[in-house]
Amino acid sequence: MKAATFEYVRATSVDEVVRTLADDEDAKILAGGQSLVPLLNMRLARPTTIIDISRIDDLSYVRRANGHLEIGALTKHRVVETSELVHRHVPLLADALRYVGHVTIRNRGTIGGSIAHADPAAELPATCVALDAQLVVQGPRGQRVIAAADFFHGYLMTALDPEEVITELRVPVLAKGTGCAVEELARRSGDFALVAVFAAVTLELDGTCREARIAVAGAGPAPVRATAAEAILRGNAVTTDVITAAANAVADATDPPSDIHGPAEYRREMAAVLSRRAIKQATNRANGGV
Amino acid sequence: MERRDFSFVALARPGAGRDKKTWEDTVVEQNAHEGLIGARVRRKEDLRLLTGRTQFVDDVQLSGMLEAAVLRSPVPHARIVSIDVSEALEHPGVYAVMTGAEVKEAVSSPQPVIWRMIPDQLIPDGYPLAVDKVRYVGQGVAAVAAKDRATAEDALELIDVEYEELPAVASLEDALAEDAPKLYEDWPSNVSGSTTIPKGDVAAAFADADVVVTESFRFARQTGAPLETRGVVATWDPYTSHLDIWLSTQSPNLARDLLGEVLGISVDKIRVRTPDVGGGFGNKFDFYGEEIVAAILSRSTGRSVKLIEDRMESFVANAHSREQKIDVELAATSDGAITGLRATVYAVLGGQLGTVGIGPCWTTAALMTGPYDIPNAELSVVGVMTNRSPYGSYRGWGQPKSNFVHERMVELLSRRIGMDAQEIRRKNFVPPDAFPYASPVFFYDSGRYADCLDLCEKSVEQAGWLERRDKARADGTAVGIGYSFHVEITAFGPSRILNMAGLQHAGFDEEVVRIDSTGHVTVYTGQSAMGQGVQTALAQVAAQSLGVALDDVTVVVGDTDTCPYTGYGTGASRAAAVGGGAVLTAATRLKEKVLRIAGQILEASPEDLVVQDGRVSVTGAPDKSISMAEIGDASYRRMNGLLPETESPTLEEREVFDPANVAFSYGCTAVLTEVDTETGEVRLLDYLIAHDCGTVINPLIVDGQLHGGAAQAIGGALYEELVYGDDGQIQTTTFMDYLIPTATEIPPFRLEHMATVADHIPGGFKGMGEGGTIGGGAAIAHSVEDALSDYGVSITSLPITPPRLLAAMRAGKDNG
Repeated sequence: MKAATFEYVRATSVDEVVRTLADDEDAKILAGGQSLVPLLNMRLARPTTIIDISRIDDLSYVRRANGHLEIGALTKHRVVETSELVHRHVPLLADALRYVGHVTIRNRGTIGGSIAHADPAAELPATCVALDAQLVVQGPRGQRVIAAADFFHGYLMTALDPEEVITELRVPVLAKGTGCAVEELARRSGDFALVAVFAAVTLELDGTCREARIAVAGAGPAPVRATAAEAILRGNAVTTDVITAAANAVADATDPPSDIHGPAEYRREMAAVLSRRAIKQATNRANGGV
Repeated sequence: MERRDFSFVALARPGAGRDKKTWEDTVVEQNAHEGLIGARVRRKEDLRLLTGRTQFVDDVQLSGMLEAAVLRSPVPHARIVSIDVSEALEHPGVYAVMTGAEVKEAVSSPQPVIWRMIPDQLIPDGYPLAVDKVRYVGQGVAAVAAKDRATAEDALELIDVEYEELPAVASLEDALAEDAPKLYEDWPSNVSGSTTIPKGDVAAAFADADVVVTESFRFARQTGAPLETRGVVATWDPYTSHLDIWLSTQSPNLARDLLGEVLGISVDKIRVRTPDVGGGFGNKFDFYGEEIVAAILSRSTGRSVKLIEDRMESFVANAHSREQKIDVELAATSDGAITGLRATVYAVLGGQLGTVGIGPCWTTAALMTGPYDIPNAELSVVGVMTNRSPYGSYRGWGQPKSNFVHERMVELLSRRIGMDAQEIRRKNFVPPDAFPYASPVFFYDSGRYADCLDLCEKSVEQAGWLERRDKARADGTAVGIGYSFHVEITAFGPSRILNMAGLQHAGFDEEVVRIDSTGHVTVYTGQSAMGQGVQTALAQVAAQSLGVALDDVTVVVGDTDTCPYTGYGTGASRAAAVGGGAVLTAATRLKEKVLRIAGQILEASPEDLVVQDGRVSVTGAPDKSISMAEIGDASYRRMNGLLPETESPTLEEREVFDPANVAFSYGCTAVLTEVDTETGEVRLLDYLIAHDCGTVINPLIVDGQLHGGAAQAIGGALYEELVYGDDGQIQTTTFMDYLIPTATEIPPFRLEHMATVADHIPGGFKGMGEGGTIGGGAAIAHSVEDALSDYGVSITSLPITPPRLLAAMRAGKDNG
């Protein structure tokens, strides 16, 4: 388990990253190294150049601007998870990050790295989809902004061009009266999810659902946004029947894989079970519960 | 099927050849002043372990050392048509490339299979690297020695192997199918051998039975997954032809003998040193081809060669275990007396036989009656070769399956006849007055099983589990309590009897205890330290036996040139029992010499002397005393006028202890479990073991062994499974897929101890390294069944995964 040989470049600026990517189409970016380093050591990834961006300081921040939070791509999971701004404005993100590996992993793993890696069972991509987040990326032709809904194309595949790098995650601030919940089924604490459901429910003062956001990890080759389930909730009182109908709609929207940890049918069924629990808890929290 | 008469066990009757007086007197004396034996003292090893001062095999750095890597087969079953190593040889930094055919040329004999319980078993010649054919994914095909490991791995990619693929025998069913492809073409089938262990008249028992319960059980493949993978550093001196080996092993003496056997050299030329071992779990008892590959690469390059198994390799090259299918029939009376047990153990062996051959699977059959006095039994084992990695040693060594079978059968009988399972256990236990008890193969030395079950049940009540279960059920939560009762074979073992059982090795232990010129004590042992605390345990025995402080005892392990010989190795829960017994006898004899010397100096009779905290004093006259340091000085340096003319200089005793019998520990496990009935997830809420391992040397170590063993039982019951696809490819080669339980999956443990001494072992010690692992699976299964009592679930295979449990709940409901 020793990596094949590669060139190593320690980048000091985003421009240098983009230039180096353009020069070598088989280059790979190293940020926190939590996914790339095992792949290198197993020789499943064989880049010719490793661009180490971990020393670029100005890409690590969490700040509020214009109705959303801006999170630098090199911000560590643990920093976001414990950020006061995130807890206040996008609690779903903080809830979700608690399920990413273990604390030691979250101390090193970066937001940009997890999104760029695009593991469909990972928590962060699905959370970004649920929250209508945006990704700011930089390439040789400058900056562009990609909606999370358009970003994740399939298993470990994204809308990122080979010479582009993610610089920032933008997450809209959730409306007042929103409750969030994450329900994850994993074989062990800290494992990738068999299935995980990320839900945010916004209630009117009369208790009807104004807005619902539901996304699922482990549900297919990319994170799944359960729009049909959201529509079932929107405009309705969140009764047990409505929750069950919405949860079933979530399951219908999934196309999970089968593997040694669980068959597809099991995962799909669990998507309904977890959705029921998540919607119920998010609704309770929107009502001021815990 | 061949039947064997195991009447030789009569030789194992305990009591033969023991020196009762020596040790019993010592124990009495020890207990009088609450000595170190039985004291919960901190482990001497831990300061080094916890501060990173240890040296593992990969920390060994030798001048000019090369690093090696092994090319492993990507296919399960194929003929090797050709191997072209020319490009690899030309790769910069590469010193040697070796193929299986070259290794075969360089050795004197195939890899040893030391357990041969079945006389007519077909045992194929296996070599350190594959010759002509590969028979499992991960089998070594060629090896490279290079300036560093990365270069060696680069060179592996340049070796061109042409395989002619053959149909894979991916599973037990594939292997036993009619017209199955054969792993060994000259064999009649894929069956390596079979044997039957008889007891009583089983046909009559079944003919007369009121009730017959039938079931079939499956156990997944597992591996011990030590934190430190296997590794070796070999230095073959080209001028003296001495072979110097650093090896992460539990059995350095065995390894030295086997290195000599395979390489065809006398063992005086071989030195095996064992650095700190980062976990063994039985896996590192076995002797692997890499040891030979490193030695031969060293010989061919004239340099030291390090060969470390990486984690991915570990999942295919380290011993696999546990995988069996067991068909069982139990005969009983309607009032719960078990009258007969009939079982066939299908051992799902790999493409080659490992060091211990079919041993663990034979043990499953041999110990299948467990703690119960079952008068009639017919216990068979069938060894079946498949295109999977070889079967080897892992903590429990067959017994977790025996235990699961007899405990599950008790529960099934309970359901059938409507009698409480605990009452069935009590009714069938070997009673205390029946010891020594002849089980189908082994003599059980001692035990108070019903007392232990009572202790467990009482502790469960005191822990409030019954109320917790009631309350949870009232709240609609599925919570259950499960029990199991286990026996554990330890103190392995009487050498000649092990030989008769088929072991090509011995089971005695030799220990050396020396007091030096400063009065401090060094114990030299052939046992291996692998994190289990053996240095502390042996130091406690020596310190108490001699009357010195624990800090004044050093225990030296891990060097065949300086440490004595232990048969077998540090496995089979033997180090504390046979090592502790030998140390106790040697130290007791050494103390007699100390007292003779002190008696002369103090002008007192040795009988009037006491030793405490390193000082010998005259009873009743405490000012008349001499320190151990002064006695040491008189024995090594300034003797004149002090050391009696009748005594030789130095203070050293050597004891060889070959126990007359093995010793059986036992215990009762209880588990409190919650099941999520919607997801099938199982959460262990609490865990209790009531346990008896004879005289306890250090309760802290015993607790740790039970905790660690139980953690591995939990792994086997709920998480761990080496999965092979229908194509014979292994699908679990990282810790993302092979799930060992982490701290978050392990419940708190409660332990209760009782002590029934082994009266044939000096000190009365029994081993206990495996009991936690043996009893866990059945108790967990029973707790799950109890939690799901509304569903009629019957668990017949491990591990219990959430999707499988959900499916079983539905099947149970459908059936019900």
